[in-house]
Amino acid sequence: MTDPVIEVRDLSFRYPGAARDTLRNVNLTIERGGFVAIVGGNGSGKTTLCKTFNGLVPHYWSGEFAGAVVVSGQDTWASSVARLSWTVGYVYQDFQNQLVRPTVRDEVGFGPINFGFDDHAVRTAEALEAVGISHLADRFVWQLSGGQAHRVALASVLALRPEVIVVDEPVAELDPVAAHDVYECLTTLNRERGITVITIEHHAEFIAQYARSVLLMSDGAPVWHLPAREALARSGELAEHGIPAPQVVDALSRMGIDDVARGVTEAADLLRASCIEARDPAAPILAPQEQQRRVVAEARSVTHGFRSVSGEIEPVIRDLDLKLHEGDRVAFIGGNGAGKTTLMRLFAGIQVPRSGDLFLTGENTRSKRAGRLAERAAYLYQHPERMFLKPSVRDDVELFPRSRRDPETDEIVARILERVRLTDLADRDGRTLSGGQQRRATLAIGLAMRPDLLLLDEPTASLDVASRDDVTAMLTELSGQISCAVIATHDMHLVAEWASRVIALDGGRIIADCPPRELFADGALLEASRLVPPQVVQLGKELGMDPLPLTVAEFEAHLTTTGARA
Amino acid sequence: MSVARKQRDVLSVEWIKLELIRTAYSTRGGLFAAMDPRAVLGWYLMLALAPWFTHNLTTIGSLFFIGVLSVAFARVGPLVLGLFVIGLGFELIYLVLAATVFGGDFMTFVALTEVTAKIGVVSLASLAAFVSLDPEKLSDALLALRCPPTIAFAVSYGYRMMPILVEEFSTVMEGYRLRQLPPAKAGLLGWRHLAHWATLVVKAFYPIFLNTAKSVRTTVEALEARGFTFATIDKRGRRIRIAGLRYGWLDLAVVLATAGLIAASFAAGAQWPIHRV
Repeated sequence: MTDPVIEVRDLSFRYPGAARDTLRNVNLTIERGGFVAIVGGNGSGKTTLCKTFNGLVPHYWSGEFAGAVVVSGQDTWASSVARLSWTVGYVYQDFQNQLVRPTVRDEVGFGPINFGFDDHAVRTAEALEAVGISHLADRFVWQLSGGQAHRVALASVLALRPEVIVVDEPVAELDPVAAHDVYECLTTLNRERGITVITIEHHAEFIAQYARSVLLMSDGAPVWHLPAREALARSGELAEHGIPAPQVVDALSRMGIDDVARGVTEAADLLRASCIEARDPAAPILAPQEQQRRVVAEARSVTHGFRSVSGEIEPVIRDLDLKLHEGDRVAFIGGNGAGKTTLMRLFAGIQVPRSGDLFLTGENTRSKRAGRLAERAAYLYQHPERMFLKPSVRDDVELFPRSRRDPETDEIVARILERVRLTDLADRDGRTLSGGQQRRATLAIGLAMRPDLLLLDEPTASLDVASRDDVTAMLTELSGQISCAVIATHDMHLVAEWASRVIALDGGRIIADCPPRELFADGALLEASRLVPPQVVQLGKELGMDPLPLTVAEFEAHLTTTGARA
Repeated sequence: MSVARKQRDVLSVEWIKLELIRTAYSTRGGLFAAMDPRAVLGWYLMLALAPWFTHNLTTIGSLFFIGVLSVAFARVGPLVLGLFVIGLGFELIYLVLAATVFGGDFMTFVALTEVTAKIGVVSLASLAAFVSLDPEKLSDALLALRCPPTIAFAVSYGYRMMPILVEEFSTVMEGYRLRQLPPAKAGLLGWRHLAHWATLVVKAFYPIFLNTAKSVRTTVEALEARGFTFATIDKRGRRIRIAGLRYGWLDLAVVLATAGLIAASFAAGAQWPIHRV
């Protein structure tokens, strides 16, 4: 308790026009060089709290502000956003919107040039180097992948040489590998440059692996601020605030071990130390009988590509053959640029391939307009807000059946809204809903199209864990409604819990087509498609389980049987 | 019912987006792209103002020719050039019609053509100049010429918004295309499809702007945090930005050559004058 970089005393804040305080009597100290994860449910005031650190509250968002925030010796009330930005860098959740200049170098140099630092070129080069993107300096920002864009946003705040960096939910918009990269990068900055890192995070796995202390916010005030290990031991309390324990912690506690493991290896060691091992293979889990099932959609030697700014055609899908059967729950996986989204849009008939043919319930997609094909296949965007065309959720769900003069429109819409539990919110504008609600609203739009084939692009991206489980459960319930569902995802929990068939894409080709269990067992394949299996699968592998457990329940069942024999 | 669908690379929304980006960021290179942006602005003013000092059709014709030459040198892309040619074509048709309908004769048409040709020269010069200036160069030049920093930034940020808006537009239109049933019959000359499409364009406006406005909130906060307002008060940022600008021999040569050609146009006009009567 020696050198606080941020001190908050008796802070309360209310947004103009709001009925109640967003922050209530916050007292908080953050030590210099710390790595703090701020957790808490939606609306607990996490983001607002972080915006008091760089003065956006109260200088940009002027509301009722009481108390004091002192950042590195300066009282934020007496300072300005510009001056405080030299001390505190802020990377947004929607970091794409934070990029304001066309090229990466311009973007990173923007801050230092605005502030008139003569060493702006040095600072820019240094910041690019620090996050490992020097080779991207001359790219246009819209050519970057999500992971690269996040690094640019990070470099652009680093160029001001801040003492504190705030990162708002890096996991939300990035695939897991990219998110781990971001955390590794933050760890290096924290360790080598002594920069204090503050992240807002929902995912207990990341907290366990990287953070040194955890601040739990609830209803506008901190509940506690504890070292990470102690914090994670309070898994019940975290779960109440929408942060379920990491799978390894959950698995350990089910085995009666109270200790907290910060990663898979540590958990395996703890289990071995408690003499719990998986010795014999459990009864093999039978693969479902392969029957002759109806083909819902088929791709025959499909090749597709897009023209780039420079004019060449960049191939995205190469000579691909695939049949999707009735009852399949398919997951397309693979890194960014593997062709997942393109393949889905081809299956939905939104685009037609450059060569080869796609068939939707037996009909070539070339033979009909996209609007007609939408009656057979519905594609749901990765960003739900892109599907809101009307001023209310109900209007959006209605649009498709109503314009086709379906006499049962009212019944269908009412039933579907009930099913996705949005009846009460049906008259709100979709854009004002929370992330999980938006996702359910788009699901309702898709269901109202009553397709044979439902294609969902990243249905769990940027959701907190509770909403994610909610969506996963809803997808499972849907199996009776549609013939075949396809998701494209980076979320291996979703793959493990939901999919019956995994199709791994790489460079526009299928590199694997198998059930999830086989996929997770294949180390080389995981490496090639940049995948991180769920912790419980890794733990099973570490303990030599065969077949691999896909859920914590399966893991537990497996260990119990061997435990009984031992 | 209809022709089999095919992937199209030209005249699709995607193509328009790429063309706009290519145009805005002068990826095609060209003569003026290599020049100092301030010199390009000066050159542009020269050529854009010249036609307004004469009624001599010979001079105006020569100036038009200089404009065509500059467009060739600037390597203007097919989209904007196509729009220009179509615009000019429609203007001419309209003039002939207007002149005939309102009881004019060939001379009325010539009189109106003079203004069209002058505007044509300005348009050609604008095409050549602004296709060659990427937004960064343009905003630096504006800063150097003592424009308020807010305007200079607005120029550069406006360009940044363009691909975002086009993208948003194509998403919203796609949503309508998929979810709203198009008319079953095309009607005379496909007017039903045209009317359907026009309605959608109007309907698309609201979602596009709501979606964009939401994301811009982050942008504004980020600008504030990165000293944008600070730079409008403090002058050091401006000094650094414009330090990279240098006039070179090419600038001088191009400006002098153009001045020479303009002078020649006026001389030619004096020698072989054509005036409308």
